[in-house]
Amino acid sequence: MSGEVRVQHAGTQHGPVGHDVGENGFTARQLTRLDEALTLSSRESGLIFSVYVGELRAPTRAHAEALFERLSDDSVLVAVSPAQRVLHIVTGPGSSRRLPNRACALAALAMRASLSNGDLLGAIVTGLRMLADSAGTL
Amino acid sequence: MTVVQTVLVFAGIPAAIVAALTFAVYGKSMLHQPNRYRPGRPWNYAPAWFVPHPDAVVPTGGARPQLDAGSTTTTTAVGGASGEW
Repeated sequence: MSGEVRVQHAGTQHGPVGHDVGENGFTARQLTRLDEALTLSSRESGLIFSVYVGELRAPTRAHAEALFERLSDDSVLVAVSPAQRVLHIVTGPGSSRRLPNRACALAALAMRASLSNGDLLGAIVTGLRMLADSAGTL
Repeated sequence: MTVVQTVLVFAGIPAAIVAALTFAVYGKSMLHQPNRYRPGRPWNYAPAWFVPHPDAVVPTGGARPQLDAGSTTTTTAVGGASGEW
């Protein structure tokens, strides 16, 4: 893996059309759902949620935390690696006060249930919703 | 019946019925879920990092997150959770 990550807003205008799968593995409708979930959960909770989908270098937890270190204190990173069948939720100094590890573990559990059924996007949306609900509003 | 008619009746019609049933059962998922993820199958897509729209993010005492590939460390991971499936 190159370690290079392209950052983009979900639902980009240059993304896939119709039922086509874009280069990130999601259709236009799925990207719209992802964008909606990210935007709503970030707006409601005041935390900055971001979702990484792709390969994580071993040890995967360390790679997810290294990715998180580029974000801010109030960020929450949901990193999912479908190929390695592993997911990590990472919180920072600000966001961990709103999201204790218990809440993150509960969201990870719900995501695992969807992921083992093959529902990748549903898992991400569910996880974001549960994390935003646990964090509450500002 | 000629040979062509026989083949059409005894092979063509059953094949058409099987094809119609197959499409009725699997057609929708073939058309609408081209990228359906299956656990254990490879994921051959480029890694992507999705962030919320900047207008939705209310900066609380800090600048908006800068997600440059070569950016330096701005925060540290404190907690979270992990899972495998």
